[in-house]
Amino acid sequence: MLTTVVGNFPKVAEAGYGTAVIGAINRWQKQELSDGGLEDVFQDVTRAVIKEQEAAGIDVVTDGQIRWEDLVTPLARRLEGFEINGLERFFDNNVYYRRPILHKTPVRKQPIFLKEYLFARSCTSKPVKAVLPGPYTVVALSEDRYYRNVRPFLRSIAEILNEEARTLAKAGAVMIQFDEPALGFGKPPMKDVVEAINIATTGVQAKTALYLYFGHLDGTLPALRPCRVDLIGVDVVSDPKAITAVRKQKWTKELALGCVDARNTKLESVTELHALFDVVKRVVPKGRLYANPNCGLEFLPHEQARQKLNRLVEAVRRYK
Amino acid sequence: MLLTTSVGSLPKPDYLAKARAQARKGELDHKALRRLEEQATREWVQFQDEIGIDIVVDGEQYRGDMVAFFAEQLPGFKQSSLVRSYGNRYYRKPIIADKVRRPRPVTVGWWTFAQSLTSRPVKGMLTGPYTIMDWSFNEYYPSRRATALALAGVIHEEAKDLERAGAQYIQIDEPAISTRLDEIDLAIEALGVVTKGLRAKTITHICYGNFEALAPKLMKLPVDQIDLEFANRKFELFGAFKRLRFTKEVGLGVVDVHSHRLESVEEVADNLRKALAVFKPEQIYPDPDCGLKTRTPQEAKDKLRVIVQATRIVRDELNGARKPSRRPAAVAAARKR
Ligand SMILES: [Zn+2]
Repeated sequence: MLTTVVGNFPKVAEAGYGTAVIGAINRWQKQELSDGGLEDVFQDVTRAVIKEQEAAGIDVVTDGQIRWEDLVTPLARRLEGFEINGLERFFDNNVYYRRPILHKTPVRKQPIFLKEYLFARSCTSKPVKAVLPGPYTVVALSEDRYYRNVRPFLRSIAEILNEEARTLAKAGAVMIQFDEPALGFGKPPMKDVVEAINIATTGVQAKTALYLYFGHLDGTLPALRPCRVDLIGVDVVSDPKAITAVRKQKWTKELALGCVDARNTKLESVTELHALFDVVKRVVPKGRLYANPNCGLEFLPHEQARQKLNRLVEAVRRYK
Repeated sequence: MLLTTSVGSLPKPDYLAKARAQARKGELDHKALRRLEEQATREWVQFQDEIGIDIVVDGEQYRGDMVAFFAEQLPGFKQSSLVRSYGNRYYRKPIIADKVRRPRPVTVGWWTFAQSLTSRPVKGMLTGPYTIMDWSFNEYYPSRRATALALAGVIHEEAKDLERAGAQYIQIDEPAISTRLDEIDLAIEALGVVTKGLRAKTITHICYGNFEALAPKLMKLPVDQIDLEFANRKFELFGAFKRLRFTKEVGLGVVDVHSHRLESVEEVADNLRKALAVFKPEQIYPDPDCGLKTRTPQEAKDKLRVIVQATRIVRDELNGARKPSRRPAAVAAARKR
């Protein structure tokens, strides 16, 4: 079983890599700090969070999304066609994001996350996965004033994500992950979602992953079976019934078990994590299993995020 | 009728904002900060008194975050390091690490101080149990329900003590209530624990998200008055309320707290006249949409003055002391009721 993280990491660590990001962004917003100056701070913190994942013993690391304000605006800001609007609550969290509004056909003019990815890879000898928002989550968190119809919006975002994923794979990303928390809420149009994910992963020369977190898993896993992805990440913390859904699923893909609660500070015991491992090893061979927190670690204060990662690695290492 | 009030927070004057920053850095001692908090409270109470606000608030000059303020004073909570809320904004999200207790009152001292400064009633201001639960980490209680109900017991004790001290109005804010409507029954249950057996008038302020989903539950909230933002939504809620059988009192937000623009007296008066077509005059408590702490002190004062002046005009019209300038039908209808 390999360990990984879902994506983001605390941007500040009072007792660790510091709080430089806050001041740097403030100064940059007031035009007292240049783009290059801000980039230096982002790079320092990115390097620090990668080192921290290495030190914890995480097998597949991310760049911690230190530059990301939220899951969707880093993409939407750099596409033509979107305007970034006011604050909205980010799913069921006491955390907010800025809602993108689509006004015309979205266009990707150049690679979006390539430079950031290359920098992260230069910081470590461990495999670095690239994380992108999934097409449905981009659509669900945006306001569509152009298509006024889910399917064409989904398809155009999926095509853009596909170009981006191909670029990242060519640059050496071993795994490309699409985050789809929006699938946990309401009744997503699963046929269109599967079509979009298949567009996004077409021809991508890397392992592809689809991560589900927050909300509920009702019926989502069976509906995702026709998806052409190599790995599905499931959050078994947010939905108490999720572990049953995982057990009932016929697994033909790899599974990443989101088993440590990255939205609460209470530390899991090795025993309770092992109980979850026991369930999944019966449905997925050990060599096709990953373990990770249920979602990004940025909901936690830094100290607790670090403890949770250590506990995750400890549980996996001690698991026989 | 048409008693004017505020939602709770008022902006901190510059000298207090500076002092708080100094205190955080350890450059100002607790006593000196407290003196300035008292000065700012005195100024705000005097201001409300002078302009004629009917139900006064202390302005929460001594509070930062509405949940952290309670968490800092209730044993069982511990402080965390920073977590990000959005953009470049961070806060210390409290951690419930043990059984939450209330060895002594949290707000009664400040309430008593504020009440000693005015003969008008001062509203007691509490944060509701559902919101404290939703905005904290929990390492102690077995579930969200257990957490909310335990906190409700604690806030109930505080409300009782406010009542004993003489508070006639107690507001229990639940801004988180509308963000997870799947849990609204839990929020209602917890709020019921807080208000049970209180003789004081109880109020809750909700910053709503999806009003359509919230509306059917409004009458079930166990409080006498529900305070909502109307101005910010261009008063479109009037239509929704017309369809509801709403018999509680309504805190009617008539000025937008997120806008620098100062509403005109005539515009606010006109919206109050429209409100009279939906609510009875004695149901309505004109106030700002939400806490005014996001505005400058001057903007906040100007907006409060407009509310008082507009309310006076409409009140006089209802009393027949003044000829209504517009919308006579609504006012006439309201007078008959
Ligand atoms: Zn509000």
